[in-house]
Amino acid sequence: MDENTDLKLLGFIVERLEVGILAIDPQFRVVLWNRFMETHSGRDLDSMRGQCLFESFPELPERWLRRKIESVFELGNYSFTSWEQRPYLFRFQHNRPITGGVDAMRQNCTFLPLRDASGVVRLVVLTLSDYTDTALIQQKLTAAMAVSDEERRKQRALLRRLQDAKAQLFQSEKLASIGQLAAGVAHEINNPVGFVTSNLGSLERYLIDLTTLIESYASHADQLPPAAAEAVRRQREKLDYDFIREDLGALIRESREGLDHIRRIILDLKDFTRVDQSGWQLADLEKAFDSTLNVVWNELKYKATIVKDYRHPPQVECIPGQINQVLMNLLVNAGHALGEKGEITLRTGPDPSEVTGAVAEVWVEVEDDGCGISVEHQKRIFDPFFTTKPVGQGTGLGLSVSYNIIRRHGGRIDVRSTVGVGTCFRLTLPVQRSEVADAVSESPDLAAEVTPEELLALEGPDGA
Amino acid sequence: MSTAGASPAPAGFAAAGSAAPASATTAPANLSEDQTAALQEIANIGMGQAGDSIARIWKQFVALSVPRIALVESGRIPTLIHHFVGDARVSAARQAFHGAMRGEVLVVIGRGNRDQLGELMGYDGQLDLGEEQEMLLDIANVLGGACIGGIARQLGADVGFSAPSLIGTDLDSHAVVRPEELCVSTALCVEVCFTIESNQLSAHLIALMPREELVNLAQLLDRFLCNL
Repeated sequence: MDENTDLKLLGFIVERLEVGILAIDPQFRVVLWNRFMETHSGRDLDSMRGQCLFESFPELPERWLRRKIESVFELGNYSFTSWEQRPYLFRFQHNRPITGGVDAMRQNCTFLPLRDASGVVRLVVLTLSDYTDTALIQQKLTAAMAVSDEERRKQRALLRRLQDAKAQLFQSEKLASIGQLAAGVAHEINNPVGFVTSNLGSLERYLIDLTTLIESYASHADQLPPAAAEAVRRQREKLDYDFIREDLGALIRESREGLDHIRRIILDLKDFTRVDQSGWQLADLEKAFDSTLNVVWNELKYKATIVKDYRHPPQVECIPGQINQVLMNLLVNAGHALGEKGEITLRTGPDPSEVTGAVAEVWVEVEDDGCGISVEHQKRIFDPFFTTKPVGQGTGLGLSVSYNIIRRHGGRIDVRSTVGVGTCFRLTLPVQRSEVADAVSESPDLAAEVTPEELLALEGPDGA
Repeated sequence: MSTAGASPAPAGFAAAGSAAPASATTAPANLSEDQTAALQEIANIGMGQAGDSIARIWKQFVALSVPRIALVESGRIPTLIHHFVGDARVSAARQAFHGAMRGEVLVVIGRGNRDQLGELMGYDGQLDLGEEQEMLLDIANVLGGACIGGIARQLGADVGFSAPSLIGTDLDSHAVVRPEELCVSTALCVEVCFTIESNQLSAHLIALMPREELVNLAQLLDRFLCNL
């Protein structure tokens, strides 16, 4: 091939290549404009040759593009634009008149310096490649990735909830088994306490009989020979019979009180755990307060003064064992908040006489004058595993379990607290169980947070 | 309009060809002491010219550091970038060069005043994300082209550039290069820092060439030395 043929061939390639090719001189006048540019701009080379690019295409970003082209003339280096940052330089129609998808042809552009023999850049050649298809694929990919990211995020959230639910389930099972154990122990103690009580009754009667008998002997003491009478008198004095007779009554009375106390504790324990009756039933929240208080009394008795402010609201439909668990949590927490000494106020309401119509909701409050909870901690106290207690002393589950129990009762648990002043937790429960409460209480325990479909989605088809 | 000022080399960054035994660097087997000295000189001149051109097109005073040259184990590159750039959040782009010299240029840019820089480069008003990225790519292209182009010209080598691509904006400087992405064990590293004082903008240019490519560079340097 001679040089002429070479040039012809090159001319043909520049003209017919499916790439826009134009060249401009330092005054931004067009010197080359290939067929791709003609076709897409609707302007032929003859009308473009010698024209200032910016006058022919006023929509071009002139200030920026001038700088860019000037820097190619100045530095003699390549320069580029990418459709990702700048979708197009020339607004051309895209190659999808039917299927669409974008507003205009996406373009990658290259600015290349054309030097003369002395190395001075005389022209800048601009090539334009159509990247519409790539852009569309990229668009789809990005959308698909966003969807899968969102799914992953959801799965992570679900997993977290599942873990929380598992932990709470474990905690509530633990509490339930402790309750069962306590109830079993209570039952075992009940029998001996029963026969001790009964024996004590007999013993009291026998003692009365015995003292009556002794008194009767004493009334006939003057008939004894003087030496015998003196011996009896001395024996009586030595044994301090008069004191024994007085003290016997007190001993019996105190023992009976002690046994009564034991019986009450056993009753409260049984009441608290409710192993015998675990379903929904009407319950008096003030009684629940009292029996729970007895169960945790040992924890509180040395530091807390208990103030009761009861207004005798109506009974509420609830699962008493669970409500007792919540009250116990609140009482124990209040005790921890007190530190050395303080006051815990138990309040119930509303007072039915002050409410017009039927009472729809009942509330109970546990208020302490302890250390209080900071505002940022208040946001987190119902989160599973959140605890301010030292490692090993708190599971951080008490309030989150409580929160879920109250939620499943269709109620609310609110806190107001001021650091250094004290904290008040208020439980509000509907008098009648709502349908929502029904629905959640049907699902297996605390895993109720996660629906079966969600669980399936988590486990995946392979059960991983 | 450009100045060059010496800055201390970070720990573990010894000049190539020097005898300093540092764990991160190995003596460049493929570059002799003469070749390394020549490369340093060429880089000094090349970067100086690049600084001049950049100052001309941006019409700003550009200060630049003395180029630092070393052979670096690739595992050390992320640490090295952190050494150069510090703890600040950065934006970064890469650009490949090919031909008689082959490698990649990383350009790492601190926050600076972007809108002012945008104004300088012909953008109107506040930059949107696309414009900011495009500007970053353009800066990388200009710096990469000027510096590698400057070195190549002195060596009489023909070097081409592919389009720059974005690494990211608002990155931790450790995250510019992840060691697991690197496919070479050792690379020749040329670092220079440009500062546009009016914008409080500093850009680090880090040119990396795989050790295997140094045979070509060594030949070019020998030719350069013969022609002196």
